[in-house]
Amino acid sequence: MKRAYIIDNITEGKNVNTVVFSTDDEIKPGQFIMAWAPGINEIPLSFSYINKIKKITVKIYGEASEYIAHLKRGDYLYYSGPYGKPFTIVPGKKLLIGAGTGIAPLIPLIDDNTYGIISGKTADDIIFERYFNNRLKIVTDDGSYGMNGYVTTALKTLDLNEFDMLYACGPEIMLKTVYDYIKNMDINAQFSLERSMKCGIGLCDSCSINGYQVCTDGPVFSIEQLKNMDEFGRTRLQYSGKRIYF
Amino acid sequence: MKVNTDIGIKLKNPFMLASGILDENGYTMERILNNGASSTVTKSIGMEERRGFDPPVIYHDENYIINAVGLSNPGIDNFEEEIKIALRSGKPVIGSIFGRDAEEFSLLARKMESYSVSAIELNLSCPHVKGYGMEVGSDPDLVSEIVSEVKSKVSIPVFSKLSPNTSDIVEEAKAAEKSDALVLINTIKAMKIDIYARKPVLSNVYGGLSGASIKPVGIRYVYEIKKELNKKIIGVGGIENINDAIEYIMAGASAVQIGSAVYKYGIGIFNKLNNDLNEFFIKNNINDIEDIIGVALK
Repeated sequence: MKRAYIIDNITEGKNVNTVVFSTDDEIKPGQFIMAWAPGINEIPLSFSYINKIKKITVKIYGEASEYIAHLKRGDYLYYSGPYGKPFTIVPGKKLLIGAGTGIAPLIPLIDDNTYGIISGKTADDIIFERYFNNRLKIVTDDGSYGMNGYVTTALKTLDLNEFDMLYACGPEIMLKTVYDYIKNMDINAQFSLERSMKCGIGLCDSCSINGYQVCTDGPVFSIEQLKNMDEFGRTRLQYSGKRIYF
Repeated sequence: MKVNTDIGIKLKNPFMLASGILDENGYTMERILNNGASSTVTKSIGMEERRGFDPPVIYHDENYIINAVGLSNPGIDNFEEEIKIALRSGKPVIGSIFGRDAEEFSLLARKMESYSVSAIELNLSCPHVKGYGMEVGSDPDLVSEIVSEVKSKVSIPVFSKLSPNTSDIVEEAKAAEKSDALVLINTIKAMKIDIYARKPVLSNVYGGLSGASIKPVGIRYVYEIKKELNKKIIGVGGIENINDAIEYIMAGASAVQIGSAVYKYGIGIFNKLNNDLNEFFIKNNINDIEDIIGVALK
């Protein structure tokens, strides 16, 4: 187990914090760690900043995420990793599509030719607007901020042929709507998937999709890979390994 | 050159996927069977759906893994679909089961047989779940009763996976003597403490040690049991390359199972082992795997 000294803790929004720390690990955009809350649980978290200083952005949804989101300067983050296949970075114009905190692992991809879509249920879910210099569409289910609608509402306002690569991260159902919207267009895209993960090292079969492990074969999959995965957006595995349908 | 082997079922090569690694889901098993494994043993399946333990369920270092997944499984009634998917590979699937007593084991075995598995592997050795596995397996009378009962209820071969966490594995093996083959060894009960957090890492505290570090223990058990009982043995524990596999075969194993090494080498390890086995046979003038099974005992 590695440990890293916490330098800072930034409140990003309602129940969302960024924990800032320093490690020598070389992290590529899209990779993640298994962050350990000693005596509580262990959860996968991806990086929202990956230079010498590292940041992970945590949404509180359970005991472990609450513990990690509240780490403060002087505390230590315990973790193993980094794990997973990163995003492939291509030159040209990029579109980043993130649902809620799903935008966090996309932030390290931002350069001066990047455009963004951030979606959320309500205004409270929208974070990291500041990184986009207004080259950004915001859309909320209830219309409390930005456009009223879903991620496809925002996609429809853009000419997607202008982009050399789309990068998407969020719940699988949201990713599937993006995939369905673009699958018959000639558009390059990469998707970062999130499935119930236990071991993080490709052994326990908990996060599998069509025989691939999200933790080691992913979490990033290309649109071409997903075209051969009929479980994508259709089924998921419960913690016991039981397959259920979305 | 003959590399196919017989453990009560016929296998095209000696390399099987061990229970507990990437074998809870039909698609994953199918993919591994299509990539060089001659058969797969499923994750151990019980009577009911079971969530298992909270993470951390695994701690790993360069030479070992300690796991306490906690026998998570979808339950026998939900597992038929997974086996059907795995069987699309055309290769044999072996159903691993765990229960509290002979009655549960028999019921699970019959259901597995009805799902068209080729053999049953009895998990008598999981070291980290109360009331199951090792706790069942350390009672010779219970083991003997379970094996007899399951053998009388199914017509497919029955394998018993035994625990190294015992003072007398020969006694344990004798209790399971009616099995068609013995699977040696399961993981060794172990734990990890993080010295900075000052806490055990695994949520369950105790787990099972696997990986390269346990290979010498596995070799010794395979050799000792082969010498005492002369039964078919499937060797498992720390196999990472062809030399490890050959060592198990020479100790008496008719086939071997690969588990933890998938972490280091990915599922490509199965095709690599097949290629390296052929090369080893050619270089060492071996024509038939039968000629080296247990050769170290002769």
